[in-house]
Amino acid sequence: MRAPIGFRISNRRKSLKISQAGLARLVGISPSYLNLIENNKRDIGGALLNRVATQLEIDVDELAGRAEQKLLQDLEEAFADPIVESLPFRPDERRDLVAQYPASAAALARLHRAYTDAVSNADAYADRLRSDPLLSQLLHQILSGVTAIRSSAEILEDVTDLDDAERQRFLGAIRRGSITLSDVARNLIGQFDTSSEISRNVSPAREIDDMIIERQNHFPDLEDVADCLRLEVARTGPFNVATLAALLEDKFGVVVVFGGPADDPGFPGQYQFDSQTRRMWFQGATTLATRKFQLARLFGELAAADAINQTMQSAVLSTATARRFASRAIGSYLAGAMVFPYERVLADAEASAYDIDYLGQVYSASFEQVAHRLVTLRRPGQEGVPFGFLRSDPAGRLTKHFPLPGLLLPNSGHACPLWAIYGAFRMPEALLRQVVRFSDGSRYLFLARTVQHRTAAFREQIVASSVMLACDVLHADRTIYASGLDLNDHSADIPVGPSCRLCTRRDCASRQEETLSSDIAASPTRAPLLPSAFTLGDHH
Amino acid sequence: MAIDILIAEDEPSILESLDFILRRAGYSIRSVTDGDAVLDAVRRMAPRLLLLDVMLPRRSGFDILKQIRADVELRDLPVLILTAKGQQQDRRTAEELGADGFVTKPYANADVVGAVRQLLGRQGGVA
Repeated sequence: MRAPIGFRISNRRKSLKISQAGLARLVGISPSYLNLIENNKRDIGGALLNRVATQLEIDVDELAGRAEQKLLQDLEEAFADPIVESLPFRPDERRDLVAQYPASAAALARLHRAYTDAVSNADAYADRLRSDPLLSQLLHQILSGVTAIRSSAEILEDVTDLDDAERQRFLGAIRRGSITLSDVARNLIGQFDTSSEISRNVSPAREIDDMIIERQNHFPDLEDVADCLRLEVARTGPFNVATLAALLEDKFGVVVVFGGPADDPGFPGQYQFDSQTRRMWFQGATTLATRKFQLARLFGELAAADAINQTMQSAVLSTATARRFASRAIGSYLAGAMVFPYERVLADAEASAYDIDYLGQVYSASFEQVAHRLVTLRRPGQEGVPFGFLRSDPAGRLTKHFPLPGLLLPNSGHACPLWAIYGAFRMPEALLRQVVRFSDGSRYLFLARTVQHRTAAFREQIVASSVMLACDVLHADRTIYASGLDLNDHSADIPVGPSCRLCTRRDCASRQEETLSSDIAASPTRAPLLPSAFTLGDHH
Repeated sequence: MAIDILIAEDEPSILESLDFILRRAGYSIRSVTDGDAVLDAVRRMAPRLLLLDVMLPRRSGFDILKQIRADVELRDLPVLILTAKGQQQDRRTAEELGADGFVTKPYANADVVGAVRQLLGRQGGVA
């Protein structure tokens, strides 16, 4: 669902006392078309949106309502929740709520998030109780203790001819049962204290998302720091692995080692930094792109620790886990900004029509590194094509995402099975293009490819992911990936949803789960084989 | 020597009270506390009913029940399952494996005696 850009254009135009015909003339469209846009009957984006923003003297992000896009997405999820499914929402109610009562909309979204976090925590506790063998044993001990106490107490009460020895026996059983229960209670309290810490891990990913979304995945301070660090590297030599390794040793006493065993025997990763020994180890098979990126990241983290801490302090990070995730994300951002200096990579991207493979060659970078950097090209006034980013593991679980306003990306779990991110696994190393259409009419270009994280020895398991970029089809013609596609032919669009649980399409043969909304009847592909009125064995 | 009821339960206080209430109900009782010893005890003592806890040391009650039902000589032995879990899944497992009854801890003493009487009749048959 798109933010009500039309209302904002109309309101801004009127506040500047510009007529509809006047604005239409200034931006080069017909008054009737502008009227459709202002009434949210037509979408607007790309160059036209930029022209309108310029004429209305307003920042294009503010006009496009990026923050509102995110809020709309959050409300989309909230209104699809079964807890409110019986309410008779009007189709445009969410958009009107965001446009007219943004604070109330934000409050609703925040409350829903708190509710879903609480439900997730409860599920995590329940899972822990079900599956933890120690907890299972403790619960068994509780029930056994209570049984012994209850049975003995009933005997003492009901049997009137007990002799003293028997009475003492059952009183002793009650005492022993009580002691057992006390010990188990103490154990359980300790277990649940640990569980609380674990369940809070449900939220750190969300806090990182919030940090990134709030900044629209662009950190100007880190970009400035990256420019300074790159200059520092340039004073030593060209921006490559050898220069970075030399600088790390010279400035921070870090020894970089390629190949040989890791410090921790059996360590499964490709690289490891030991802060005690100041040794940065890379597996022999690690690619050049990974070496350069991780050395840049280490250099950035050591040289600009204050800037990284300052960025983290400006975010809400309530647990040690969230702070650790954030530190990693910010370190990676800084590395990306160093490997791909903003102005240069934007110019190269525009010149090459966002050819990811070409950019990878120019910067000696991996597909994923380039894709990640493209998502961060959001400097006001110097924006690149707005992209969203998703990464999936072979099991289909989403392991990383950077949202795109307007495109509902699942926060976790699985996305729509029709998305290119999954199709890419069927065509390893080949780039898969898709033009998709959601049920609200929004259309996107999806680009996906599998990436192998390292070359594997014969007996090793290959570690692969699928990486996907998404952009509004309005921007697709700025990319090389629109070549050969007729973007005006909507009949070729692939009808998709965000995920099965959030999708309202009833006729999808690929549906894997029922939708959250009860307005949509059960999918015919998931109905039982026999109608409910038929009973096996009836012979009428 | 044949007995009425063999109790397989490792918790001493529970065993003590079960022994007491079932003897008072007129049944002859023997007990075993280790999962590995249950089958041998059943063969030696030939009980008319086995009162079997699910959570025994070294071997689970469900495992033992499965072996009893697979044994030509033992498969008709009435088995009453005692469990501390009481979950639907445990009840289903007990039924699928051929248990004759199911008592969930913590139980009322009268419930245990009632379940035993249902399977064995009002009085014990063996001295």
